[in-house]
This record gives sequence, structure tokens and C-alpha cells, in this order.
Amino acid sequence: MENHREITTVQAATILISTIIGVGVLPLPLFAVRGGGSGAPLVTLAGIILAAIGLFILTILGTRYPQKTIITYGEDIVGKWIGKMCSMIVIFFFFILSALAAREFGEVVVSAVLRETPLEVTVFVMLLIACLSVRYNINTFAYIHNFYVPAILGPVLIIVAFSLKNANPLYLRPLIENDFYYMAKGMLTISALFQGSFIVTMIIPFMKNPKKAIKASFWGIFISGGVYLLIVIATIAVFGTEEIKQIFWPTLELARTTALPGNILQRLDVIFLAVWVTAVFTTLFSSYYFTIYSIKQMAKLKDHRMLSFFMMPFVFFLAMLPQNILQLYDVIQIAGRAGLLITILYPAMLLVIDLVRGRRRRKKSVAQES
Amino acid sequence: MLHKNPSLRLVIIFFLLFPLLSGCWDSQEIEQRATILAIGIDPASNKEENQQSEGGITHLDKNIGEPNEELIKVTAQIAVPGRIPLGPTQGQSSHNSVLIVQVVGHTIQDAMLNLQQQVAYETFLGHLRIIVLNEKIAKKGTQRFNDFLRRNPQIRRTASLAVSKEPAEDYMRLVPELQRIPSLYLADMVDNLSALGRFPPSFIGLFWTILSSKGQDPYLPYLTIKDKKSIQLSGLAYFRGDRMAGKTSPLEIGFYMAIRGIGRGGYSAFIKVPGKEEFVMVKAISRKTKVKVKLIDGKPHVDIKVRYESEIEEKTSQSIYINDSTIIGKIQKETSNEVEKSLKKFIAKTQKAESDIFGFGEHVRAKYPKYWIKEIGTKENWKRVYKDITYDVHVDTRIHRVGMKAK
Repeated sequence: MENHREITTVQAATILISTIIGVGVLPLPLFAVRGGGSGAPLVTLAGIILAAIGLFILTILGTRYPQKTIITYGEDIVGKWIGKMCSMIVIFFFFILSALAAREFGEVVVSAVLRETPLEVTVFVMLLIACLSVRYNINTFAYIHNFYVPAILGPVLIIVAFSLKNANPLYLRPLIENDFYYMAKGMLTISALFQGSFIVTMIIPFMKNPKKAIKASFWGIFISGGVYLLIVIATIAVFGTEEIKQIFWPTLELARTTALPGNILQRLDVIFLAVWVTAVFTTLFSSYYFTIYSIKQMAKLKDHRMLSFFMMPFVFFLAMLPQNILQLYDVIQIAGRAGLLITILYPAMLLVIDLVRGRRRRKKSVAQES
Repeated sequence: MLHKNPSLRLVIIFFLLFPLLSGCWDSQEIEQRATILAIGIDPASNKEENQQSEGGITHLDKNIGEPNEELIKVTAQIAVPGRIPLGPTQGQSSHNSVLIVQVVGHTIQDAMLNLQQQVAYETFLGHLRIIVLNEKIAKKGTQRFNDFLRRNPQIRRTASLAVSKEPAEDYMRLVPELQRIPSLYLADMVDNLSALGRFPPSFIGLFWTILSSKGQDPYLPYLTIKDKKSIQLSGLAYFRGDRMAGKTSPLEIGFYMAIRGIGRGGYSAFIKVPGKEEFVMVKAISRKTKVKVKLIDGKPHVDIKVRYESEIEEKTSQSIYINDSTIIGKIQKETSNEVEKSLKKFIAKTQKAESDIFGFGEHVRAKYPKYWIKEIGTKENWKRVYKDITYDVHVDTRIHRVGMKAK
């Protein structure tokens, strides 16, 4: 199959940014503070670095196989059967991730905004929009992300900027508070919020210049990580670590506390929620697209469209499984941390094997020549 | 089939869109809503308890028992739909624009549910602007209210919280002349005064933040009613944990702002002119504060440096001349000394109440984490330490201007 290589480097970066920024922004400061107390920014930074390492491993792998995704080159590297099995795990993980994102979205909407609307409806509507959008090809996918990124980044930065009026820099000190066990755990939870970046493996085969994928990855993680770090710093400076521990979604609360000067808007949560719905949509869109597209590749189907609606009831069912919001967050954190094995360790393993084999191959060819 | 028949497609789309016409689940007509603008919380008097006006609406079974919390009396001001004028109208009295409902309950939510039983429309807290706590309630602890207020997504974090000397009920019933909607006047009172530099920023979210932090105690505006008619901001209620520990005089609010380093000044004070029996009124325009916390012999020591930019507003007698810079210099020195003494007295007062409203504890926690973890760790411990900390206060006053008059 000949790929239409149309995605530019900028588009690839925007896909990464809007995929990474998602439902996770709401509980992010809570996760960070639980991990590191007032050292939360440090924990966040460590999480970002870990996620960046994972992303770069994947990107390097992608540039070595510029025609293929992890599903197809996985089979080349570790053999057909093991590769297929690992791919299945990857697909299943993103399947779960889509379901959890949809459910988390529903929970926030039901408990904060639309109190009367049944959870099922909000989740279903979100999934439906994702399903409809997944039916288009990957260029449309890129355009949608590209289109929404400014709408996501702008308001978030505005909220952070204006919220600093109430900030107390003392809350950010000391830089290291907790012991390292909790910090490491927090770091893993936070880097799990970046798992959407896995999508890069799907984009590389469509890029005009796959060699520039590394540049795209760098900007993608730099901007989204920067935004995450800013949000953590701002929420802690405004609320302090002790208050954050009492709030489910500190970022939402930050938007509720922040006012535009001159009483233009007395609280910014309206803007924030509108932005956030878009952010959730793009994230869900990416992880669902990845799931569908990977199934298509693995089963060697010609088209992924019909899969979109076929898989939707399963995602919906999975999204409805957690019993309550507390259980949901337990599942999210555990699944996220376990997922790091899939999104970082698996590509790392592939890269190591590939490098070793590549060297052996080269040696062999050298031996043959002489 | 669908591909061949476009009109059939249209019909199907039409029917699919049909259910959307009903709007969303959460739609609610604005006149069907009981919008609560302000809440006043008082302790319930015994008589009311006996009358069982509480109603028992939220109790499953009398045998299971009731929450141990003392009963509270909640007075709510509800906006009457359509009566809130938007533009300037004339001659309309404000009596009808709000409805006042009083209920009793064990907790706020309990009272709110009792209130719902009395009001036909669904109560809505999204526009709640101010909560007034009676002094007696505030002294018994505010923590019992915070849970509901934090949990409810309708409550704004920017709503105000204030402590009142008189029963909070009176504030709900008060009809101020300046604003048509009584509760909005009350809320503006608190908001605008902090914009004028007469009170440090204070809203419910900030109260919670400070209450949660380990090294600081919260504060709230303290209101009184003058002549049964007007509301006066007559001090700052300082807390020990979630309990109100005492109140300050209005001028001490200015001292508090000076120590916290809140730039905008607003308070004026009479300062005796050295060598004379007359006074001048000196107003603080702005301040700059540096708070340094050190550990001296393993004990925290606070060093406060305040620099005032001031202005002379008035003099009391013709016999003083403000016409050369030496007299200004003398007044500056005198002001600095007086303010310094007052600041020290004020800190000592809060130390006695074990109420660290200045947040010196946060400085210690932030800058000496090892000491904090080893010696303090909890909010309660910090209060004990705060009681005995030592401090230095340096005040520097600069008077640059004397107004439009030359002498």
C-alpha cells in the first residue's frame, strides 16, 4: 500500500500536543501533590522527562522503519507470533485508555456541570463524535488536531496567567518534601498522562519527511509538558499543597477561582470547560483512532471505517464498568502506571533488539564482502 | 436503499433530530429557580429547638439518632424572579426584590433541604455572593460548613464569607439604601473594601486555602450594624484553626495588611506632632514589606521591615505649620515609632490567641523544611511554637506630599 505522505512536521507536533493534553489536566495537580507535596513541580518534571524518553525511543524506531507502525515492524523485529501478541496487548491497552478517557470525561461533566444529565448520555455522545470522526482518513485526523491546538493552548495559558494574581510563592517551597518512594510513584502516574504520545508511531508513515519526526516529537512534548508544568505550578501557588489534597480537580477549581479583571468574567470555568471538552475530544479521538487503525493493520484489512462503529459498544461497555468515581481513579492510576510497560518498555525492548540485529547484519555483510 | 432515495434520507434525519428539540436535561427556566443570593447562619435558640421547626426531613429514623451538631438557623435571601431591576428605575422600594426564608437544620445542607420544602422552585446556589456567620457560630468552628460548601459544584470560590456581631439574620433583613438588592450591597461591601485597600483580599476560596495550609490561620471581615441601618466593617476576625479567636479594631486591619505586605494602603491615623499638642492625619498610600524568618538557637525569629509611602491629609489646628521639611521629618519619625509600637502590640495580641494570621509558619515551613519536619509538622504544633516566637519590627515612613495646601 502506498502511503500519501502529507503530514508536515508542524502538524505532527500539533497532533502530539492535542493528544497529550486531555482529561488528565484536571486531576494532574492532585496526582503531583500526592506524589511530591510541595515538590510537585519537580515530580511533574521528572514525569515529563520519563515520558519524553519513551517518546524518543518510539520516534527513533519509527525513523528506522519509516514505512511502518509499531504493529507492523514489531512483527519484523521479534517475529510474527510474539509481535502479534505484543501488538494485541498494545491495542487492548489503548482500547482501555479510550474507555477510561470517555468515562472520566462523563464523571466530570456529571458532577460539575450537567448534574441531571445521565452519565451514559454524556459518555455516549462523546464516543459517538469520536466514532464519526475516526471514519475519515489520517489527513483529516491531522487537520482536526491542527485546528484545535490554538483553541486548547490559548485559554489554558490565559487562565494560568490571571490566576497568578492570587498566588503565594511560599507554597512552592521547599522543593523536595516527600520521600523518594512517593515521588517515584507520582512520577510514574504523571508520565502515564503522556501516553497519548504513542500516536507518533502511527503518524510517521504518513509524514512528508519521516526524519523530522524527532523534531516534531521534541516540540510536541516540550509544549504539552510545559503547559502541564505551568498548570501544576499555578495551582500549587494559588491553593497550596494542603488545599489541593482536598480537591478532586484542582485545575477546574483554579479556573473557578480566577476572574478576568474588570468583572468581564467573574469565573473562568465556563471557558475552561469548553476548552477542556475539545481537549478531551482530541485525546479520545487519537486513542480511538490508534485502536481502530492498529486493528486494521494487524488484521490486514483494507479499510478501518466499519470497525469504528463495530468497536464502539465495547468501549462504551468498558467505560461503564467502574463502580464509582473513586474506583475509576484507582483504575486510571493503576492502568496508567502498568501502561508504561507497554508504552515505554516495549518500544525500548524493540529498539535494543533492532540495534543488536542491525549490527549483526552489518557485520555479516562486511564479512561477506571481504 | 438510502443511497438511491435522498428524500428518505431526509425523513430519517428529521426524525433523528426530533428528540433534540426538547433541549438538555439540565434546562431550567430562570423564573422556575429560587436563586439564593445570601445566607446568614446563626445558632438556633432553644425555643426553636423545642418547637422542632427543624422538621426532621432528612432523618431516616429517630432511633438511629441525629447528628451531634448543634442546630443552626439559616436565613436565606432568595431573589424574586423578575423583580430584580436591571437598569435604573425610580421610586421602587427594594422590599419586594428578595424573599427571606428562615429554616433550622443540623448542617447547612440539612437546612437547605428544609428550605427546599418551603419553596416551590428548585434552589440554586450558583449566584450565592455572601455567607454571613454569626460570631457565636464562628467561635464554635467553621469546619462543619466547609464540607458542604466545597462539595457543592454550584458554590463559587469567589463568594465572600464574613463574621457578624449581630445575628446574621439581621443582615439578611437589612435594607440598605445604596443598592436595590440588599445582599449585593453586602457582598460589594466586602469586595470593594478590599479594592479600596481597607481590607486584605478575602473570599471563601482563600479562607479555605489558608485554613488548609499548615503554617497560617485564616481571617475574615468582621461586620457590625450601626443604627440598625448601615453596615460597618469594624475589624478583622482572626481564627485559631477553624475557630474564631478574636477581632481587631478597624485600624489594626491596616497593621495586618502592613505585615502581610499588601501594597495598597488605605488607612489613616492621627499622629501627634512632636513638641505640640496637635495632631496631623497621616494616610498610608502604599507599603512595601519584607518578612524574613531566621532560626536563632533553633527557634524561629521573624524580622519585619515595613516601608510606608504616606501623605498628610489634614491637620487639626492652625497653630502647626507644615511648611518645611524638618517638620515633615519629625512627623515621619513619630509615625514610624507609633506604627512600630502598634505593630508589635498587634502581633503580641495574635500570639496570645495562638492565631498566626500572618503566615509566619508558612515562611518557616518553606525555608527551613528540616526544622519544620523535625520539630513542628502539624498545624497544632506550629500554634504552640508561634506563641513564643520572637520578632523585630522596623518601620520606615516616607512622606513625599502634603496635598494642595502650602502650609
